[in-house]
Amino acid sequence: MGAVCPLALLAAGTEATIADVRAGKGMRLRLAGLGLCPDARVRVQCADRGSLIVSVGDARYALSRGIAMKILVKEAA
Amino acid sequence: MTGIRVALAGNPNVGKTTLFNALTGSRQHVGNWPGVTVEKKTGRINRSGHAIEVIDLPGTYSLTACSADEVVARDYILEERPDVVVQVVDATNLERNLYLTTQIAELGVPVVIALNMADAAEAGGCAIDRERLSALLAIPVVRTVGIRGEGLDDLLDAAVREAETPPHHEHTVGYRNDVEAMIASLVGVLEADKDLAERYPLRWLAARLLEGDENALAKVRESPVSPRVQALLSTIDPDECEAAMADRRYDVIAAVLPQVRTAGARGMNVSEMVDRVVTDRYLGIPIFLALMWGTFELTFAVAAPFVALIEAGLARLSAAVAGSIGPAWLASLVGDGIIGGVGSVLVFVPNIFILFLILSFLEDTGYLARAAFIMDRLMYAIGLPGKAFIPMLIGFGCNVPGIMAARTIEGERDRLITILVNPFISCSARLPVYILFAGAFFGAAAGVVVFLLYVLGIAAAIGSAKLFRHTILPGESSPFIMEMPPYRLPTAGTSLLHTWSRGVMYVRKAGTIILAGALVLWCLASFPFGVEYGSSASLAGALGHLLEPLVAPLGFDWKIAVALLFGFVAKEVVVGSLGVLYGAGEEGDALSTAFLADPGLSAATALALMVFVLLYTPCLATIATIRKETGSWKWAGFSVAYGLVLAWLLALIVGRIAPSFIGGA
Repeated sequence: MGAVCPLALLAAGTEATIADVRAGKGMRLRLAGLGLCPDARVRVQCADRGSLIVSVGDARYALSRGIAMKILVKEAA
Repeated sequence: MTGIRVALAGNPNVGKTTLFNALTGSRQHVGNWPGVTVEKKTGRINRSGHAIEVIDLPGTYSLTACSADEVVARDYILEERPDVVVQVVDATNLERNLYLTTQIAELGVPVVIALNMADAAEAGGCAIDRERLSALLAIPVVRTVGIRGEGLDDLLDAAVREAETPPHHEHTVGYRNDVEAMIASLVGVLEADKDLAERYPLRWLAARLLEGDENALAKVRESPVSPRVQALLSTIDPDECEAAMADRRYDVIAAVLPQVRTAGARGMNVSEMVDRVVTDRYLGIPIFLALMWGTFELTFAVAAPFVALIEAGLARLSAAVAGSIGPAWLASLVGDGIIGGVGSVLVFVPNIFILFLILSFLEDTGYLARAAFIMDRLMYAIGLPGKAFIPMLIGFGCNVPGIMAARTIEGERDRLITILVNPFISCSARLPVYILFAGAFFGAAAGVVVFLLYVLGIAAAIGSAKLFRHTILPGESSPFIMEMPPYRLPTAGTSLLHTWSRGVMYVRKAGTIILAGALVLWCLASFPFGVEYGSSASLAGALGHLLEPLVAPLGFDWKIAVALLFGFVAKEVVVGSLGVLYGAGEEGDALSTAFLADPGLSAATALALMVFVLLYTPCLATIATIRKETGSWKWAGFSVAYGLVLAWLLALIVGRIAPSFIGGA
């Protein structure tokens, strides 16, 4: 089990499990609706600009860096 | 005959509107990006003795609504109580779609699942056991393929059956024991308020209260049971509850999924590969610009022969009119007024169709969402979320839907800025003006000039957004989250349908509003009796001379002043008006020849005019939409005034510096 770090810091191609979402209530509920909630497995697909593209299950989202900093993940072993 | 109301709900971009169109025979706009539908649409069908009203709702990821279009969907289900909700589920993305199912089911309305895009899921090697899914969720599941109209009969049958069966079970997620106990005590308290109990499903309300949902809290605030509710809520931590409940929903889904789905092999799919390239750090923006440039080149090149054909036809027509209509005034009305005004707008129909065809194609493939992603950094720099770029791209077709598309933006100030800068995005109505002037004065470089005008429009929008952000609407931009839909190959049918329905709108506009404008202008140009048609002694001339001092610094004469005034109605009218005033219909001369013969018009003036038309006052329809979407005349008025000032200043600058680049003046 790797250490916990913000999603925004992962390199493209990395898989991880969400540990915690440190955002306000509205944002947390919204992210939960998208499947971005604790225990979900995410994969960073593209991270070389300000925002990044992550895939969760069968869906893919573009997230701004600000949000990605608030999503804490454990890198897959 | 009994009436049944069927609401189509579901995540964004799962094909609700496609299904709606297939069910009702409507032609609502669809596209491959989340948020095409921002308003609910209604259609009616009769089926085996039932009058069925189908309501297409905007997409929503959850029922804890955060943007304007999501609120529309939630409030409809909650307040209007449809007889049955058909949740359209994207079969290729079951997990997230089922999250919404758990929330809809909690509302206590009968639900039917339309397992849509079933063909795409099957093609990906993913098999879904519908019967098992239906049994596990206690919700009927019907296989549909919206674009091919498969499964519609089964879906309607299931919907009617569910609507007519009295609800016999609550198919909701069971939460953790302590949460369930809390829900039970809350329901017990809420039951005392008969009014509330009648309007809302209490289990749902209790669950939302536990989550600390603002909307739910507001509903009980006025109730006599409010103090007791507050007392109960004060004992729990809403954040903890909310997390536990969301967890539980996904646990239920995680338990269901492996039983119903045999996933195909998941490798790197095509969408991911394409995205590697088009969202690349270095290639992304050049690819985007190249696509835009290609769009306008094609708009010119492909349409050119058709334009020539229509011009020749109109020339014949006006020659025939001049030769065969008796009274001179009638010949002038038909020739100068109708053919000159409407004809000069109709000439550009091929350009408009091609522009719409390309825009539809980009929209249907799913590239639009990528463009928003690519532009996010730039948008962030000006203080808007990347999502705000989509209304801009839609604005290229027409600003009215562009401004409405701003509803998908969450922050109120972000939304206002997005709306206010949209008119600077050059809509298709302005294209005839560019084509006419760029074609007349810039020859082979016309495509480049038009492209630069579009870029100037974007620059004006971006610059204004930055200005507004720092002055009248300060604040942080709300964070950017957007789904990247998988790329889909547009079917020829849908792309052509889009193009057709938007193109027809253009033609219809030519036949109504532009015709009316041309006739009014013809009268102004012909009266008082006896004056030479369209001369400065006519009423139009008087009006023009009145306005001339205002635009004289820009190098515009009275004819242009009149055309610009009439262009307020719709921007194509600028072309129509000039057609009337230059009497272009008369001898079959193309309007561009008339321009070149006019000593008052130089390439620099033409450029300044195009810049002015790009930026000045949005058309009436756009102003009305701004008024509607912002809810105030103040913003609509602001938009008019700001546009005029900006247009005047930039046209002045362009008119002054252009001669040193293109020579002449």
